Amino acid sequence: MRRRTIALTVLAAALAVPRAAVAQSASDLFDVSTLQEIRLSVNTRDLATLRAHTDLNTYYVADLSWRNVKVRNVGIRSRGQGSRNPIKPGYKVEIDHYTTGQTLAGLSTIILDNIWQDDSLIREKLAFEMFERMGQPAPRESFCRLFINNEYQGVYNITEEIDADFARRVTGETDGTLFEYHWSADGIWRAEDLGSIAAYKPKLEARTHVLDADSTLYDPIVNLFHEVNGPDDAVWRSRVEQYIDLTQFMTQVGIEQYVAENDGILGYAGMNNFYLYRFQGTTRHRLFVWDKDNAFLFLDSPLPTTDGNVLFRRAMAYPDLREVYFSTLEQCARLAAADDFLLLEIDRLTGIIYDAARNDPKKQFGNDQYDAAVQFLRDFASRRPAQVLANVAGLRGQ
Amino acid sequence: MLPAAALAFQLAVHTTEGGKREDRVSAGAAQKKEPEQKDKKPKKKKAKDKDKAKDKEYPQFKLDDHPSIHLAKGTHIDFKGRFAADVTDSDAPAADTTEAAAVDLGKRRVGVEGEIHNDVEFQVEAELASTNTWRDVYADFKHFDAIRVRGGHFKLPFSLDELTSPTHLDFMFRSLAATHLAPGRDTGVMVHGRVVAKTINYEVGVFDHDGKNARTSNPDKVYGGQTVAARVTFEPLRNRKDAGADLSVGGAFTTSDVPEGIGGVRGLMVHDQKFFSAGNFTVNGKRRRTGVEFQLRPGPASVKGEWIRLATERKGESVEDTDLSPLVGQGWYVSATYAVTGEKKSRLDRPKKPLFQGGAGAIEVAGRVESLEFKSGDGSEAPSRSPRAESVLGNRDKVVTVGVNWYVNRFVKIQGNFIREQLADPSQGPLPPQSTFTTKAVRFQLSF
Repeated sequence: MRRRTIALTVLAAALAVPRAAVAQSASDLFDVSTLQEIRLSVNTRDLATLRAHTDLNTYYVADLSWRNVKVRNVGIRSRGQGSRNPIKPGYKVEIDHYTTGQTLAGLSTIILDNIWQDDSLIREKLAFEMFERMGQPAPRESFCRLFINNEYQGVYNITEEIDADFARRVTGETDGTLFEYHWSADGIWRAEDLGSIAAYKPKLEARTHVLDADSTLYDPIVNLFHEVNGPDDAVWRSRVEQYIDLTQFMTQVGIEQYVAENDGILGYAGMNNFYLYRFQGTTRHRLFVWDKDNAFLFLDSPLPTTDGNVLFRRAMAYPDLREVYFSTLEQCARLAAADDFLLLEIDRLTGIIYDAARNDPKKQFGNDQYDAAVQFLRDFASRRPAQVLANVAGLRGQ
Repeated sequence: MLPAAALAFQLAVHTTEGGKREDRVSAGAAQKKEPEQKDKKPKKKKAKDKDKAKDKEYPQFKLDDHPSIHLAKGTHIDFKGRFAADVTDSDAPAADTTEAAAVDLGKRRVGVEGEIHNDVEFQVEAELASTNTWRDVYADFKHFDAIRVRGGHFKLPFSLDELTSPTHLDFMFRSLAATHLAPGRDTGVMVHGRVVAKTINYEVGVFDHDGKNARTSNPDKVYGGQTVAARVTFEPLRNRKDAGADLSVGGAFTTSDVPEGIGGVRGLMVHDQKFFSAGNFTVNGKRRRTGVEFQLRPGPASVKGEWIRLATERKGESVEDTDLSPLVGQGWYVSATYAVTGEKKSRLDRPKKPLFQGGAGAIEVAGRVESLEFKSGDGSEAPSRSPRAESVLGNRDKVVTVGVNWYVNRFVKIQGNFIREQLADPSQGPLPPQSTFTTKAVRFQLSF
């Protein structure tokens, strides 16, 4: 009798397992082969306040549903710089903001990128794929239809947050130091020596080791840009390489130039859209790529060999680093052209989001422009490889 | 043995904060002594006549319990003061002063109270060097014992501990439940009185808001609007003369509407360190307080206890605009005291043998166990700090206090307390992951 009671109890417990408990992984969430669907429930008064004050970073409570997973009491806030707007706000979703240890598919934070500035809606994903194929880590990303209180908000990117978990995933290290770069209109910066910790602190916000002393966090950064701007060419490289992986830097610049990114390291308004990562136990840094909504912008974008950016300009003086830059551009061209990778990827991604994109009620651009933008990307994919290879050959001959 | 008249007078000034309360022992004692006084009348007649003549001369200045001016028969003004200084040693860090509330520390308080023609009682009391200067400011029409009317700024009738004057507290600090869940003072009108052979004491009032204790210095936080409060205490054995005559049981409630916003009720430890982020949760709707209490003071001993529940609705506050379960603060305490020097509890502030007057004063030992907790929901959902969580991440502070009270004389009292607090969830406490905090404190109090 007792055994039967226990058996019934176990059976009842098994049947009572909530659907939410069915495991879904981060790979499922970032599976770009399917259009995901995210649903947020937000108190109507909170939603009105959030939309009225998208310029603020105030968190509001939401319940998030994805597939068979419902996560209660997540924190959402408006996000973005140039993309921040009240019509189609971007959202930072902190799964553990109110509930310690709570995750969605193992992630404590995701970004719901409004793709506001990208008329094709796929530029960033394409660029991140180029980085990944070139061996440079990039945030994982998929597309979703976002509903808030059952109202369709349009197509969003689900983007992996660059945080300690990301750094751990891509470097294998558990204790590196991560800095998020904050662009500022009143302080356009091209790697000049800013001098003091106080000047770097607002630009490079520590995202790990946040309780460390400022000197611990920022002295290596102060030294990095002091050496970058050092007067002695004979010792420049050995000193700078103590603080940054120059090969990785030149590779990142090369990829950005291939995808015609005009708001990256050599951006039109100074450096932008990157994270700086310090390898654990060292003073050496590398970059992580971020926000590529403005990639693939110009088909005939020239390939710079010098720039206002001090670090790039001085690195280009070294033949091997110059070669890293050129060979990266060539590899990108070959990669994009091989089996029409880039062209097919444009078609594949567009096919996944096409209906949702055309029905996106809040996107900045109309459907005609959307179609034209996709066509532009197809032209870019077709013509850019030959164009870049020719340009690099020409530059090598100089 | 004190003369009966003197005894009656002394007991008559034994007060409960928020209103003077005559002590029933005074009437009985005076009646018992009557025959003895009759025998002495012829011998003292001449002197008494002289006193009577003198009594008719006004104004009179007296320096008995308080400095006082008697302007006419039944009309007088008493001057009162209370000065206290604390010495505290605690392993808990200092409290966040930005969240400090208008709590009743009663450190430097002065005031006047009195009567007009024995029909109107009044009190004006101020706390010096406080942002909330005015304490009790009221008038009480007391012509009829069964129906008295009080108007002004005074404590809402709720909680035995909260209504006890700081001068007469058994411990240095009120119970957490009374401090944070009882409403405290507000402006209003109250009808009160004693009925059914004075065995039932009732108080019913309407107030502008639900008291200072539910407010913080943060103007963005919401609190109750017009509040109805009522308290009834019953002394079933009042007319007996045994040790149980003092038994009192009672209940109280308040009700008010709280506008939508972040609630002002706080979960603070004994020294105001936050242990529950009540200030993060939105509320909207009715706020109801419920309390039950008892007290017994047999001879030199006393025992009392209370249970208080404060529930604030959260209508339309979920992420789907539906109602959330109420945010609940709940607390209780049980305390006991014993005067080792033998004085009756009701007369402890007048030691039989004051220091330097043939004795060492009165000494009392005291102990209290108490709890204050905050919660919501039925526990079916994972608790969260979210302002819109069905099940908020609650916490509980359990406190044990052991104390010694030394009544040096009728003006000076020295209290020593050893306080041990234990938090159920130390992550919300002032020094995570530390869950237990001890405080040693001494208070020097001068009152008249």
